[in-house]
Amino acid sequence: MLQYLLKRLLIFIPTIIVISLLMFILSANAPGDPVELMLNKNSGNEGKSSQKLSTEKAYNELRHKLGFDLPLFYFSFTNSTSSDTLHRVSKKAHRDNLNRLSSTYGKWSNVAAYYKSVRDFENAIFTVNRNDSNAIALNSVKERINDLYKTYEEEKVALYFSDIEKVYASTPDLSSTSDSFQKAKQAYSSMLVNQNSIAKYIPSIHFYGFENQYHRWITNFVKGDFGISYRDKRPVWSVLKDALRWTILLSTISIFLAYILAIPIGVMSAVKKGTMQERATTTTLFILYSLPSFWIATILIIYFCGGDYFDWFPAFGLGTLPPDAPFAERFMETAYHLILPIFCLSYGSLAYISRQMRGGMLNVIGQDYIRTARAKGLEDKKVVWKHAFRNSLLPILTLFANIFPAAISGSFVIEFIFSIPGMGMTSLGALNARDYPIVFTAVMFTAILTLVGTLVADMLYAVVDPRISFSNKK
Amino acid sequence: MSDSKEIKTVSASDQSFWSNVKRQFRKNKLAVYSLRFIYVLIFIAVFADFIANEKPIACKYNDAVYFPLLKSYSVDLGLSNWQPEFQNVTWKDLEYEWVVFPPVPYLPKNIDSYNSQSVSPFAEQEVKSTRWKHWLGTDELGHDILAAMIHGTRISLQVGLISQSIAAVIGILLGALAGYYGDDRLKISRGRLIMNIVFMFLAFFYGFGSRSYILGDALSISFGKFFLELLISFVIMAVIFAIGNLLAMALKAIPFFRQKVNIAVDIVVSRMIEIMVSIPTLFLIIAIVAIAKPSIILVMAIIGMTTWTGIARFIRAELLKVRNLEFIESAHALGFSEMRTLFRHAIPNALSPVLIAIAFGIAAAILIESTLSFLGIGVPAETLTWGSVLSAARQSPTAWWLAIFPGFAIFLTVTVYNLVGEGLTDALDPRQKK
Repeated sequence: MLQYLLKRLLIFIPTIIVISLLMFILSANAPGDPVELMLNKNSGNEGKSSQKLSTEKAYNELRHKLGFDLPLFYFSFTNSTSSDTLHRVSKKAHRDNLNRLSSTYGKWSNVAAYYKSVRDFENAIFTVNRNDSNAIALNSVKERINDLYKTYEEEKVALYFSDIEKVYASTPDLSSTSDSFQKAKQAYSSMLVNQNSIAKYIPSIHFYGFENQYHRWITNFVKGDFGISYRDKRPVWSVLKDALRWTILLSTISIFLAYILAIPIGVMSAVKKGTMQERATTTTLFILYSLPSFWIATILIIYFCGGDYFDWFPAFGLGTLPPDAPFAERFMETAYHLILPIFCLSYGSLAYISRQMRGGMLNVIGQDYIRTARAKGLEDKKVVWKHAFRNSLLPILTLFANIFPAAISGSFVIEFIFSIPGMGMTSLGALNARDYPIVFTAVMFTAILTLVGTLVADMLYAVVDPRISFSNKK
Repeated sequence: MSDSKEIKTVSASDQSFWSNVKRQFRKNKLAVYSLRFIYVLIFIAVFADFIANEKPIACKYNDAVYFPLLKSYSVDLGLSNWQPEFQNVTWKDLEYEWVVFPPVPYLPKNIDSYNSQSVSPFAEQEVKSTRWKHWLGTDELGHDILAAMIHGTRISLQVGLISQSIAAVIGILLGALAGYYGDDRLKISRGRLIMNIVFMFLAFFYGFGSRSYILGDALSISFGKFFLELLISFVIMAVIFAIGNLLAMALKAIPFFRQKVNIAVDIVVSRMIEIMVSIPTLFLIIAIVAIAKPSIILVMAIIGMTTWTGIARFIRAELLKVRNLEFIESAHALGFSEMRTLFRHAIPNALSPVLIAIAFGIAAAILIESTLSFLGIGVPAETLTWGSVLSAARQSPTAWWLAIFPGFAIFLTVTVYNLVGEGLTDALDPRQKK
């Protein structure tokens, strides 16, 4: 048994690594720049060069702190056009564009030269003193430069260049910078002329070693440091702790309710098979099982939470009592708000568990030893609960595996409908805002708990059913 | 003579596996009615354009007879153009000599500005006549709910069908490999293994790595283009793998590369299943959908790629049994290749339990899609689906018709697929056979 346990735990490691990699790939390919998300603003093109420098500095510092200046992974497998220094370019949008340019024109050195010349041009523009006569011209040039950073199509680049030329023609004020503009144009045309179209078909591998984003994230995760949420800049753990409180409260109550009701219902409907009462129960359970919970939740809100009908329950939230209100009062207020969500969370699993229980019991109750027990004159209650029940638990144990992850991952839909700030809502918000530290942590915990739950269920099998043993099987 | 022969064949076919299953299935009345209901749903889905549409089926206008609804297909395909008098018209306002509209004269996208702000089916509606009544009411913007329900049927069934086809392909392939070869039956030469690993990287590089921008651009243009490019990528991959395997044959000249190594397929596939099961499906789907542009086809594909585990488990378990049966042994004895034995003999005989998994899988996929639409994720805002109509009920809580009808449609569809699944489970259960 112990050997089996150790083996299973060892197998978990690759599984968890693959899951972490999967989530990492998703986050790396997500659009949007997490550093900008955290700075809460686009580093704009307004204002003076000193302002621009300070926002750029803040951007670079934050980027360094979050580790986004590191390469993504231990190695990269790309074509020979892409550079191993590309990750040093700070802005994600710029990086994506440069990557595309180098893949199209085949020579990273030319692309880098072009990028540098555009940056020089931008810096030159920012040194020009703004006055009433050139403000509009300056702004339009800055906008065009910003567009250049994100453009790879030749026609569009040409269009932007000609736009800038028009501005130069109309505003002699800017002539001091025209030199750097000409350089940028030259760099672009030399990139076009000296292109290498085969380079992108030659694979190349770069090795970066342990200093990379994935390594840093996974080692921190193992150490218990889950990072900082991009959205509200708090540590992930404290964000999740607040959410976990509500989710665990909700799910413990609903899981407990579901099991405590479902097991007797399932047993009874199996024992009394064929009666009208049983048929009614089974049909009801089947209907309950198929009812989508978000539909029921919506209907409950429409009919019982104000609207045109009954005003019995609050439609959402958890009440507005201040935290210093008496405990009893707060308890009542919270309980009142949680009745509908708990109902919506539990009826489905109630139906599912009772159906499983019924199936398990029906399997057992037709067997010979039950008939023998009845034949020797045991009372019905004892036959059912002592002889049959224990052996009918196997299908229920399979469901046990899901309890742990369900207890912490919460329900996206129900928490969303009733606006409960639990794990489901938090994860949903994090997914929409691409707040990946939260998403990572939530997924990893759910995955780990699923694996542990499966293991626990398998162990419980052996406890309930002595016929199952792991010692001679793998 | 011929008479007795005929009787023989009839009785023989009666004893065949499928006729037995059919007989068992028919005993379950509920499942039979559910299957019939699914036929009705399929009918609605296929003919949705003819049941609810803004264009007339036939009309006489300016002394000429037109069939605008049929014509719209050829216009969409780019085969013909609208007559000048029909360009940018509001079809229901034209002065026809006579006209036959579809039963529901609206498209889900049509906005009836006279009946916006969620008009109840029982309230008085500002329509020309009962012919134009919104039988299931309208939503906030004035979309006809009945039209949205009818076209939503098509989306729901498509989601179920396409996602489960994808899931079936992945699940059957992986599950069959795992079940058939187990951990110790797949032995290939060392050279072939090395070549396949090396060429897998190369195939990925040339198929996807160096084509990533082409694929991305195609995706932003249209799905048709994207699938074409994707197909080209797969062809490139296949060609590269073929080259790799040819080289592997050449490598066999060297004894070191000729040695056989064992590949534990079952462990690998079981880990893959474990991984998919461990990541919460909805989480994974939302994470992927959050990256890409909202699109219903993408949602279908992702649901398919995340829900294949049930099918894989079923077929794996079945093949573990089948691979030890005599007919597989005789296939080996006849000298059939492994591939032929697997695909022509083993898999076809293990497919029946997959039907159960697919029936339940369709129900689950429809539920997932409507949950996503309800949350407003993955499905474009302008596409009305059952889930998105239901979510509109949250904005206007007094509009019960926005909640009742789509919710009931989801419930009914999911239930009938589940019932068919249960009927199949019972019918395919060998213990039921008499």
